[in-house]
Amino acid sequence: MANTVIAQGITIEGEITADEDVVVQGTLRGKLVAKDAVSIEPGAVVEADVDAGSLAVSGQVTGNVSAADRVDLLAGGRLIGDVRAARLTIADGASFKGNVDMDV
Amino acid sequence: MASGVNGTFDGGDEAVVGQSTRIRGRISGEGDLRVEGAIEGGVALQGAVLVAEGGSIEADVEATSLVVEGTVDGDVTLSEALAIRASGRVSGVIRAAGVSIEEGASVSGRVEMDFDMPEELNG
Repeated sequence: MANTVIAQGITIEGEITADEDVVVQGTLRGKLVAKDAVSIEPGAVVEADVDAGSLAVSGQVTGNVSAADRVDLLAGGRLIGDVRAARLTIADGASFKGNVDMDV
Repeated sequence: MASGVNGTFDGGDEAVVGQSTRIRGRISGEGDLRVEGAIEGGVALQGAVLVAEGGSIEADVEATSLVVEGTVDGDVTLSEALAIRASGRVSGVIRAAGVSIEEGASVSGRVEMDFDMPEELNG
């Protein structure tokens, strides 16, 4: 398993850099930089700027996010912050407040 | 909860710091943790921690139990046991209810196991 998983019940305060997929189910405060896919799962609380290959949000994110490929805000997901990505989808039932820059 | 540390990780409930992941900061909370990458900062968990071969922690570790196949550079405080495998390397002060060191492991520092001293040794 070449993944990093921040499981439920775990809190990380600091900076994560990863050259692989990252799944967040717990709490992250700080910064997350990942080359591949990042998934913020239901129940996760992220207070961090996120820079990823691609980003899927179905938990709660407060911070600016950018993705080389795409950002998907899924149903139940909540994002407060600016999005910078060439492709962005926002599903029915998601919440979002922030600026969008798709001109990357 | 501690079962995962013996090698049967199925990606269930434990947190994993993957091979090419580096965390600079503090990890806390409740749950097991498998470290294949690098952590600099601090670990304070209620749960079992495994530092896999190639993995490293450069920080103090507080946890329920710890298995070291990689490298730990920092003080270790556990409510249960520490196992240092043949490939493991630990430098720091070790405080634990039990400590086991396999042949081939490298340890530098002090070991303070928690047990009752015989009467005649107590001043």
